[in-house]
Amino acid sequence: MNVVILGGGTVGTSICKVLGTRHNVCLVDPDPEVLEIAGEQLDVQTVKGSACDAVTLFQAGVQSADLVLAVTSKDEINLVGASLSKSMGARRSVARVFNPSYLDSSTFDYRRHFGIDRLLSLERLTALELARSVRMRGMFVLENLVRGGVEVQEVAVETDSPAAGVPLKDLKFGPGVLAGVFVTDGVARIPNGDDSANAGDTVTLIGTGDSLEEAAKRFRKNVPPKLLVVIGGGGEIGFNLARVLSKGRFSVVLMEGDRDRCEELATKLDSVTVLHGDVTRRSEMEEARVDRADVFVAATGRDEDNIVCGVEARELGAGRIMSVVRRPDYANVLGKLGIDVAVSPRSVMTRQVDGMVQTGAVLARFDVAGNQAAVYEVEVREGCDLIGVPLKDAGFRGALVAAIDREEFVRVPGAEDMLKAGDVAVVLAQADAAEGVLERFEAQG
Amino acid sequence: MNLLDFVCTDAIVPDLKPAGKEDAIAQLVASLKDAGKLPGDEEPAIVAAVLKREELGSTGIGNGVAVPHTKHPAVDRLTATVGLVHEGIDFASLDGEPVYIMILLVSPPENTRDHLRALETVSRHLKNDTFCNFLKQAKTADEVVELLREADEGHIS
Repeated sequence: MNVVILGGGTVGTSICKVLGTRHNVCLVDPDPEVLEIAGEQLDVQTVKGSACDAVTLFQAGVQSADLVLAVTSKDEINLVGASLSKSMGARRSVARVFNPSYLDSSTFDYRRHFGIDRLLSLERLTALELARSVRMRGMFVLENLVRGGVEVQEVAVETDSPAAGVPLKDLKFGPGVLAGVFVTDGVARIPNGDDSANAGDTVTLIGTGDSLEEAAKRFRKNVPPKLLVVIGGGGEIGFNLARVLSKGRFSVVLMEGDRDRCEELATKLDSVTVLHGDVTRRSEMEEARVDRADVFVAATGRDEDNIVCGVEARELGAGRIMSVVRRPDYANVLGKLGIDVAVSPRSVMTRQVDGMVQTGAVLARFDVAGNQAAVYEVEVREGCDLIGVPLKDAGFRGALVAAIDREEFVRVPGAEDMLKAGDVAVVLAQADAAEGVLERFEAQG
Repeated sequence: MNLLDFVCTDAIVPDLKPAGKEDAIAQLVASLKDAGKLPGDEEPAIVAAVLKREELGSTGIGNGVAVPHTKHPAVDRLTATVGLVHEGIDFASLDGEPVYIMILLVSPPENTRDHLRALETVSRHLKNDTFCNFLKQAKTADEVVELLREADEGHIS
């Protein structure tokens, strides 16, 4: 596959590292020093110049690229570079953007205007990755699919819980929630409306929006106590993390050093306690009651601050420590300092990119129900013979389409809904049925 | 483009009494649903989408006017409604003043051109103080429709 990467910062070079050995990669950057290092250390070609310059892009070969990734540190350069590349013939172009307004299409649809296939916010994706780590407890799976549009959660059915023994059709989950797999005595099945889960079973729930947590709660007898999460830093990552967590069973405290930003955060986040405080000062950390926190997440814009306040939080007695660390060089010392989880935007990005360079229709896969079933993100391509067929007539056995991501809107489909070219389908399949079902997405009519 | 090309006259609420900004938006979306302009099961998703847009910055554009809007695949054509809040409502507007007139717009994601033209039409008319003052005083849906028609025909200046 031919891949062109615009921007040789930490994100761009780490993508080069991952893809360089397996694909033809060309890196574009205006800085000769960056290119020299990349050329020496990574298995990539380099072109010096601006990502917005058509001549540079021609030299880099965007016209025959399967994928162009615009990942400079400037949103506007990424938008223009990805847009030009697409017009010049790239099969797929993706731009990294920071400004949340560019991701929102309600007033103006930037993605469509620029003709870009996908806009990605590393800050949002990083927040989702952190949220996943915060919420994951015990051995139960929790996954985010289609950039957080769909969540998968497993829950063990407790004796005397409200939903135990009740037929699925009578449970009336919110719109957007689907009970995907029941596991009884180690045997998985995709349930129908008359099926019920009993104490001791495991249920895999798939859903969009906030209703998943509500549904999961009904399989538990006692609602577990709310965990206290203190987030240091109210930038895009901290804000998105606070928003995701505040919907679930968490008390969230968000510390931010800038007073104006605090006010803004407080109006946007109703159920989050926003504190004006500096995470690098011990006294202010104490005031935020970091000592009582079950989880402390360091999410400021500076790696060094995130490491230092992570260590401080550990000293104060916080339960688990998570830090956002952008520079790869720090990875070694984190464990030694007592930081339990480090999440870096660049590793989050490389995972996304992995999906984009798949040659088949399957973009991602997550095992659920003790590996007896899996959830797949599958691209619906032009010519696939499932297009235009109502899902109820598609004849899936041991599998179902749990969600459809169309035009960046994710929804749980009904029986009459049909797939369209360009959709990403979230498919849940039992292990024994997966191969047959996935083949149908590969088939070209 | 005219206001009455896309405002659903059956969904106009001339006397909103909302508990807050969120409730005001929810009531207007509900009104569009009751008028058959959007499928009932998508109502919460559309409210959520409109609120998400508000997070980026209030659509309270000043002068007592707010234009909450979103794009959503649940609608197959541009639709809108008008809500009047006679007591005024805190909408975190740009000028800090309460909002009395709300125009809520929902369009399909594909039709970016109509969406922009509708937003332009709405903001053009709502810049007209006379029109706004008349609208604030309207008590019934019929009066609102009549004012929209007069504005479309250029009779209010």
